[in-house]
Amino acid sequence: MKKSTCICLVVALLACVAIPFAVHAQDKTIRIGAMYPMTGRAGLYGIDSVAAAEMAIDEINGKGGVNGYMIDATFTDSKARPAYAVRVATRYITEDKVHFLFGVVSSGVGLAVTEISRQHKTIFIGTDHASTQLTVDKMQPYYFRVSNNTFMSMAAGALYLKERKATKDWTTIAYIGPDYAYGHDQWNELKYNLDRLGVPYKVVGEYWPKLFEPDYTAYVTSLVRDKPDILVSGFWGGDTVAFLKQAIPYGLLQRSLYFHPDAGGNYELMSAMGDELPAGLVLGARHYNNWPDTALNRNFAAEFKKRTGRFPTYAASGAYVGVYAIAKAVEAVGNPDDTEALVKALENLKLQAPWDPDGFTSYMRPDTHQLKKMQAIGVTMPNKDFPPATMMLGDWKIYKPEDVMPPNDYIKEKRK
Amino acid sequence: MDATFIFSQAVSGLTIATLLFLVASGLTLIFGVGKVFNFAHGSFYMIGAYFGYQFSAVWGTNFFLSLILTGICVGLVGMLMEFLFLRRIYGRANEGGFQILMTYCFILIIDDLVKLIWGTEYKSLARPPGFQGAFQIGDTFIPTYNLLIIGIGFAAVILAWYILARTRPGRVARAASVDREIVGVLGVNVPLTMTLVFGLATAMGGMAGTLAAPLRTVTPGAGIEVIIDSLIVVVIGGMGNFWGAWLGAILIGEVTAFGVAFAPKWATLFSFMILVIVLIFKPEGLFTRRKVM
Repeated sequence: MKKSTCICLVVALLACVAIPFAVHAQDKTIRIGAMYPMTGRAGLYGIDSVAAAEMAIDEINGKGGVNGYMIDATFTDSKARPAYAVRVATRYITEDKVHFLFGVVSSGVGLAVTEISRQHKTIFIGTDHASTQLTVDKMQPYYFRVSNNTFMSMAAGALYLKERKATKDWTTIAYIGPDYAYGHDQWNELKYNLDRLGVPYKVVGEYWPKLFEPDYTAYVTSLVRDKPDILVSGFWGGDTVAFLKQAIPYGLLQRSLYFHPDAGGNYELMSAMGDELPAGLVLGARHYNNWPDTALNRNFAAEFKKRTGRFPTYAASGAYVGVYAIAKAVEAVGNPDDTEALVKALENLKLQAPWDPDGFTSYMRPDTHQLKKMQAIGVTMPNKDFPPATMMLGDWKIYKPEDVMPPNDYIKEKRK
Repeated sequence: MDATFIFSQAVSGLTIATLLFLVASGLTLIFGVGKVFNFAHGSFYMIGAYFGYQFSAVWGTNFFLSLILTGICVGLVGMLMEFLFLRRIYGRANEGGFQILMTYCFILIIDDLVKLIWGTEYKSLARPPGFQGAFQIGDTFIPTYNLLIIGIGFAAVILAWYILARTRPGRVARAASVDREIVGVLGVNVPLTMTLVFGLATAMGGMAGTLAAPLRTVTPGAGIEVIIDSLIVVVIGGMGNFWGAWLGAILIGEVTAFGVAFAPKWATLFSFMILVIVLIFKPEGLFTRRKVM
């Protein structure tokens, strides 16, 4: 009796352990473990990313999934904290048996999660964080980024400034950006690219307010004194809004060209500032609702608006493309379980994204796992097609991926 | 060094100081009278910004009327919070820990409520008509709205001085800050005094939020960003010392302004350095007289 009870218990225990595996093995599901900040300042990007990822999943599953596999994503608040996100990622891998880690807005969190991805050999699709390190010196085989890195934005920025010199001469430049890796990387990468292009410049000021600094008044008055021809900004999100609102009455934006190539052109700036946003600011972003004017991009912005009631920030496009990248890879391999084959498939990924102009398709760079895409920089001008924004970007300058990707010697140097 | 630059940087410092003071004064007042450290005080600043946005940008109410309405509404929310929740934990053993935990919970709750009501998109409030321009002095501009903030800050200081020094409720509040029990024994309704003080303090925080909204970003999470700087001001001025908070705010505002101008790489360090020095050499606050035990 005792023995049979024991056997029963063992069988029951084994069943408990084995059934989830059996279910996982039988159900045809592509499991994605996504992490996005959903509270605080970065919450807007996280919530937009979740909405866009769900939109892509609904589109794909609505057409019968991929090779009979349906996509199932779980979204967890990363709280924008690396240590917490590491725990979530580990749980996704060990308990939920996800095929893909996905998401992340903050580069700090991205750098932590890529380490978990490497240790567990689970593919991590980066959709929004921009630190170049992830695809250069900290690159690992299971990490892929579908949005651009800061190097690409700043290389495009340097090309823009070089062209500007030919039409309207400038010599002095100042920088203001948040005092952490993201802010410092942008400035270093811009200077590196200006030097590489042989553009002469004189730095007249460098300012490092802390992230989420509420009050920039003292920085603005100091920048007015410095009188740079070009004021380069490395803020993101609400910090850009606060800085511009405080700079406007001081006439800073009339005295210097406001130049913000990585996150300045994000839609939330236009939507938050409305009529207050001055014309003539030179801004860039990872995706624009009004460029390129293709059916795919128009449809993306309109569908997002239909789902959420508002137009997307650029974070949304990264998550949307990320889901399609997974679908493409699984389609090529035939199943979501063969990780090494999926890595190969992602290395050869070609994908029509909302940010691709006609005649161009984004593609993966195999040696860095960084998606190659066109970079565009625009100038603020009146445009009421995307309310509540009343100013949007226009007068675009477009840069090809081969001109803005980190050059091989840069990668070699960083990977030493 | 150009004199107009020094002047404009000093005005920048005063703008920073005034908004800091309006938040820090409430924090210090609540601590002084009730010995409550209201960690959620920044959240009242944030809902003040949202109320200001709702009244002024959405419903089209006059900016200054919106400012007053925000003060009243945020004050009522503050009194409700004190009456329904904080009052329950007064006098418990290790009350301080409970206060911090409970008020921290309110930061998260208020953040999420704001997100549910107004969404996560950044909101913006335009400067009121008549205060959109700037005075020009030589090569430098001084925005009229910044001067308005400084003016309102001074008015708040004078009004608060009058209430605290010259009116009976003010004297009761001051007495309660010295000894809650004795004041209660003398027949004063101490819990009601505490609720009113909480209301006044949160109303000031809320009005600071509305005043700051045209200069800053109205976003969830804005509360936690102002609370640290305000706490520095309160500690430097002396916990519970109203005038200390004012002088502390001016000190931090000006040090930040000139730090940015002359040592931009280290600018964010200075206020923390002052805090450390005060904590080591005069922990009761720069502007508090040392008590003789």
